[in-house]
Amino acid sequence: MVGAGMVLAVNGLAAAAGVAAGMRRRQAEALCPAVVTLAADPAADAAAFEVVATAVEDLVPRVEVADPGLLFVPVSGAVGYYGGEVPLVARVAAAVDEAGGQGGRLGLADGPFAARLAAAAAGDGPVVLADTRAFLASLDVAVLGREEMAATLRWLGVTTLGALAALPREAVASRFGLPGLEAHRLAAGEDRGVRPRSLPEDLAVEERFDPPLRDLEQAAFAARSLAHRLIEGLGPWGGAPHRVVVEAGSPSGETRSRTWRSADPFGEAEVAERVRWQLRAWVESGGVPGGLAVLRLAPADRSDRGRQLSLGEDAASELEATRALARAQALVGPEAVLQARPQGGRRPGERVQWHRWGEPAAPPDRDPRAPWPGRLPGPSPALVPPAPRPLEVEWDGGSPERVRLGSRWEPVLAWAGPWRQTGRWWAGEGPADCYQVVTSAGALLFEVRDGSCYLAAVYD
Amino acid sequence: MAEAARAEVVALEAFPRVVPGVEPGRVLGLVGPPGSGLTRLGLALLAGPARRGPVAVVDVRGWLCPPAAWEAGVAPERLVVVRCPERSLWGRVTAALLEGLPAVYAEVPAGADEALLRRLGALARARRSALLLRPLRGALPSGLAHLNLMGEAVRWEGAGSGHGRITGRRLTLRAAGRGVGGSEQVLEVLDDGSDALRVVPRLAAAPAGRAV
Repeated sequence: MVGAGMVLAVNGLAAAAGVAAGMRRRQAEALCPAVVTLAADPAADAAAFEVVATAVEDLVPRVEVADPGLLFVPVSGAVGYYGGEVPLVARVAAAVDEAGGQGGRLGLADGPFAARLAAAAAGDGPVVLADTRAFLASLDVAVLGREEMAATLRWLGVTTLGALAALPREAVASRFGLPGLEAHRLAAGEDRGVRPRSLPEDLAVEERFDPPLRDLEQAAFAARSLAHRLIEGLGPWGGAPHRVVVEAGSPSGETRSRTWRSADPFGEAEVAERVRWQLRAWVESGGVPGGLAVLRLAPADRSDRGRQLSLGEDAASELEATRALARAQALVGPEAVLQARPQGGRRPGERVQWHRWGEPAAPPDRDPRAPWPGRLPGPSPALVPPAPRPLEVEWDGGSPERVRLGSRWEPVLAWAGPWRQTGRWWAGEGPADCYQVVTSAGALLFEVRDGSCYLAAVYD
Repeated sequence: MAEAARAEVVALEAFPRVVPGVEPGRVLGLVGPPGSGLTRLGLALLAGPARRGPVAVVDVRGWLCPPAAWEAGVAPERLVVVRCPERSLWGRVTAALLEGLPAVYAEVPAGADEALLRRLGALARARRSALLLRPLRGALPSGLAHLNLMGEAVRWEGAGSGHGRITGRRLTLRAAGRGVGGSEQVLEVLDDGSDALRVVPRLAAAPAGRAV
């Protein structure tokens, strides 16, 4: 599975051929020419993973999803209930297998950071760490996920987490600031040190829908405004959540709930994205009976710091712009607030891939870097009708003489073409000949297909 | 044209040096019949504000094609197109965008209420947002725009009688309003499809006239 040209996940066959996550796609294809690559789809992954999360949740409550495929399970209470760490892990492993998560890796440690690394190190069987700190001490500083800091640490002769943990915390904080402090805590097995602030107890936000929502897109749209309210509500305290509990209620009072976790504090877009994934996962696993009547988001593990802005980033302007576009979206609907990016194609309208503002764009259907012979070079027309419109054209031999614009016939002053477009013959679309014409009322692009003329674009 | 050849040719970025183009808190009118090349000019004028933040286009007809804006230097990730065919919503949508964006290019539907247009102008001034208005029919109410750019003529170059292709255009504009101190100016915009849109100022100095 690939995203942004990088391999994100591999199956056993690909791994056996030497393909590994983190490689570039071309490198993977060179290693294994028969490899089949699939585009990453986190929402589909979340939907597929929901079965596994539910199976584990049946054994241990309050599981937290960090990413589709990565689940954290708090086990302090469950260890006693199931009679020890090893029986608990065995039960969880069996539940994961039964839910279709064969090949899942399990790690048990004193905190999420070490548990994730233990799971990554697990082979066929689960890894249960007796001494988390000792396990961490042998790991390379690269596992901190901060390349620049890791490079500096190596240059200073600090290559393992054990060596980092042995340094005075004040010295690390002085050299690397807040990220250094967090890295030192992780290296020392203290995991993410959340210091709760004195915040109002209930910062949860909820929205009730009457009639209940039955359409996923409507619910996802509502989730965005709810995410906005959640983060905005935390704003005055400068906090951001590391965990968000998503709850969906049915008209009969039935509730489904899932907790999402992030190592970095959640922003508005991230919360909205997780809620969308979760809603899709619920829809694909039976849905909410009777439709979505209540959607509630509750923050947990609030960070003691706000989001760190990059230099030059104007948070106020960015926030204002986001709010303005969200308001416009509320007025005209999500389908009408759009962004576009280039994609390949011959006709002007084909070279644009639209997607809703605030939502990730799908990979382009057609490669914009491909040559696309027959494509009209710039300047591009500024206006393209959503579908070609019939146009009346008078011909003299093979030359267009006049075109009818509104109620008037405009003489053609100059023209160019035709350029033959073969069209999507496999979809029953015939070939078309494209002409550029210049009149005293403007310049147009029109096409002739099956003996009829259609306006394709206006150079305005 | 001989005078044009002698005139200073400046890049569009230097537009404010010739006439004050897109400025925070100002209304710019782009007035002319369809086909006079003003849509592309309006999109090109968004390139400057798009470097500071996202900019929006209120697309009444649903015809806007972003490559024209991209070619003029607007980054795709900074351009948001808001399709608003309903005239009853147009004013509210434009106002919502003006509240938070540095610049908004809005097609003005035929028959838009004058009072609404003036309220939008006041909002743009209050929010320090640039508002580019492109009426689809007729002109803007008198005194609304700080500067009106009126399409006088457009000459498309490159196409012959069945040969060549459209390679560029020369757009002649008349600038009027407070932005040019009440005196009208004639400009020519040269557009070859790249982001190097150029402006040839002072083709002719028209006598002082009333702001449109």
